[in-house]
Amino acid sequence: MDGIVTRETLVKWAPLLVLLVLILFFAVMEPRFISVRNMARIAIASAPALMVAVGVTFIIIMGSIDLSMEGTVSVSAVVFAFAFLAMGGTVLSWAWLALPLALIVGAVIGLINGLVHVRLRIPSFMASLAMGFVGTGFALLLTGGDRIRIEDEVFRGLLTERWFGFPVMCYVALLFLFIAWFIQSRTTLGRNFYAVGGGEELAHASGLNVDRVRVMGFMLAGVFYAVGALLAVGRIGIAETATGNNFMFISITSVVVGGTALWGGIGGVWNTLIGVLIVNVIGNGMVVIGLPGYVQDGVLGLLVITAVVLSTDRKSVSFVK
Amino acid sequence: MSFIKKFIEQEKVNRRNFLFATAAGVGGFAAAGMFGPGMARAAIQDPTIAWSYRNRTNPYWNEIVSGGEAFVESLGMPKDALVHLINEGSSEKSLADVKALLARTNGDLALAIDTNDAPNARPVVEACAQSGAYVSTLWNKTDDLHPWDFGDNYVSHMSWSDEKPAEETARILLEAMGGKGGVVHLGGIASNNPAIERLQGLKNALVDYPDVELLAAEPADWDTQKANQVMSAFLTRFGDEITGVHCANDTIAYGVLEALRAEGIEDMPIVSYDGNPQAVQLVADKKILATVFTNPHWGGGITAALAYHAATGTFKPSEEPNEHREFYGPTIMVRPDDAIEFKTSYLDNVPTYDWQDFWGPSNGQIQYK
Repeated sequence: MDGIVTRETLVKWAPLLVLLVLILFFAVMEPRFISVRNMARIAIASAPALMVAVGVTFIIIMGSIDLSMEGTVSVSAVVFAFAFLAMGGTVLSWAWLALPLALIVGAVIGLINGLVHVRLRIPSFMASLAMGFVGTGFALLLTGGDRIRIEDEVFRGLLTERWFGFPVMCYVALLFLFIAWFIQSRTTLGRNFYAVGGGEELAHASGLNVDRVRVMGFMLAGVFYAVGALLAVGRIGIAETATGNNFMFISITSVVVGGTALWGGIGGVWNTLIGVLIVNVIGNGMVVIGLPGYVQDGVLGLLVITAVVLSTDRKSVSFVK
Repeated sequence: MSFIKKFIEQEKVNRRNFLFATAAGVGGFAAAGMFGPGMARAAIQDPTIAWSYRNRTNPYWNEIVSGGEAFVESLGMPKDALVHLINEGSSEKSLADVKALLARTNGDLALAIDTNDAPNARPVVEACAQSGAYVSTLWNKTDDLHPWDFGDNYVSHMSWSDEKPAEETARILLEAMGGKGGVVHLGGIASNNPAIERLQGLKNALVDYPDVELLAAEPADWDTQKANQVMSAFLTRFGDEITGVHCANDTIAYGVLEALRAEGIEDMPIVSYDGNPQAVQLVADKKILATVFTNPHWGGGITAALAYHAATGTFKPSEEPNEHREFYGPTIMVRPDDAIEFKTSYLDNVPTYDWQDFWGPSNGQIQYK
């Protein structure tokens, strides 16, 4: 990769390029794809997934992995729904307290997740996967397999109220994306994520409490999963054990396709935004131009491989496990 | 693949045992093995009752198993007495769990099971028959596997044919559309039998409505959120051309309704399937035109009841006609006019069923194409 385009530049801008090419492709195949209404539809589909993906981005930057999102999303959604209905069933009553409660639930699950990983010295992959199962099981225990409907017009305003053609939930997601960006680039914690991901031994030797950073990271991720859960409930008006379904696949795929390296230290929340949009543009675009679903899965799989190939400097990796 | 390997090995062992036994001149023993030790000990006093299924996260399976629990309670036992074997969608685990339970109970077992996929039914049934346990299957089995080939031990198989009811809901939908316009179908997991049958039902009905175009049929994997996204994309692709939506089940319909609500569309004709309580309420509110109730609670209870009563000797399966051994489960069409009444009598208060009326609500012998 000599010449004007260096490998770094390519890696940095490839995801955005892919997104633009995809949008152009679908727009040429079907002009209606590019309409504001369809952009809003893609944004609605992306908003909950974006929150979950942003959460896991922090973990992946640290070079760890978190697979607990499905369980965390389900538990947060279900606890929110029960509390919301118990306290009045409308945002205009004390039931609004259910919103911060959901975030606290997310944080607590993240905290337990982090502690299990750090204190018991279980790889994050296994610890979080197990916590995810615990979460799904707990959500099932709470609901007994039932769905809880949230009918409150004010809360459902997340979906039905539109500003400039886009529902409120899209702006909420954008707000939290900025918060995530702020944490990532303007706080010590955010810088520490990169330090741990870039070289854990070095960070440790420099006096950084790596364990504490890890636990904080998992807690923060849990909060973002809970935001994702709230938006998911806002979108379909139902909280159930299945609310968390598919979020693992979508969020990890998005983070990787967006160019955040699984080895840690590279990438960030803007990459994740691009990644989530790529995944959802494909999901929407394939149906819009009338390609069958299995092609969609195949294309996503190829994109993941391409993204990992691009974001990996193979000279620095002596073996792959 | 290891499942297939295990299956082949097990088949080999069976055959070898049979040959050894015959060679040793104990053909009688082998014959007893073939026709089931159930004949030798017709009644098990107090069999363990078990339900083997996917998991409880799915509302449908939750209903099935609650029926199993209701049956166990009707025997005067606590509902914990029902043993749950949860396969999480793995045929291999399903078979392994059954074998473990057979070993533990020494064959004193009344098993109700959905074997997860059709090929897995044979090894499960054979393992049960060999240990003298009694098994009733639901949904999955291959067409060449029949209860009457296993004496008393393979008690019964129940399934549903969804093509006819799905065709009926489609006709209701197409009438509501005024017999013209465009319809989209959101289906289940593409390879699932019910998903295929429900789409076929729509296609059958469309033959009589030449002015209605099937715009697209896309799998939504029985999932509310996936259905929500697919419906959104359909709205981009077809816009106002869509004048009706045919959903493969209720969970899909919820996602479709919310996708329409996001666009401010309130009066789209929609039909669905399964008759979940919330869907029935939506039918009563005229948000959904029709859904089909398959009474999973009864299905789950009666499947366990059949296995139990065959095991304890209340009835002798081999003396029953074939239509009592392979039969279709019940289907009830729910329309806006009768939705409220249906909801009070079937859903709000789950009826107390007579778990010895094995075939009353069933729908005739299973037909193979």
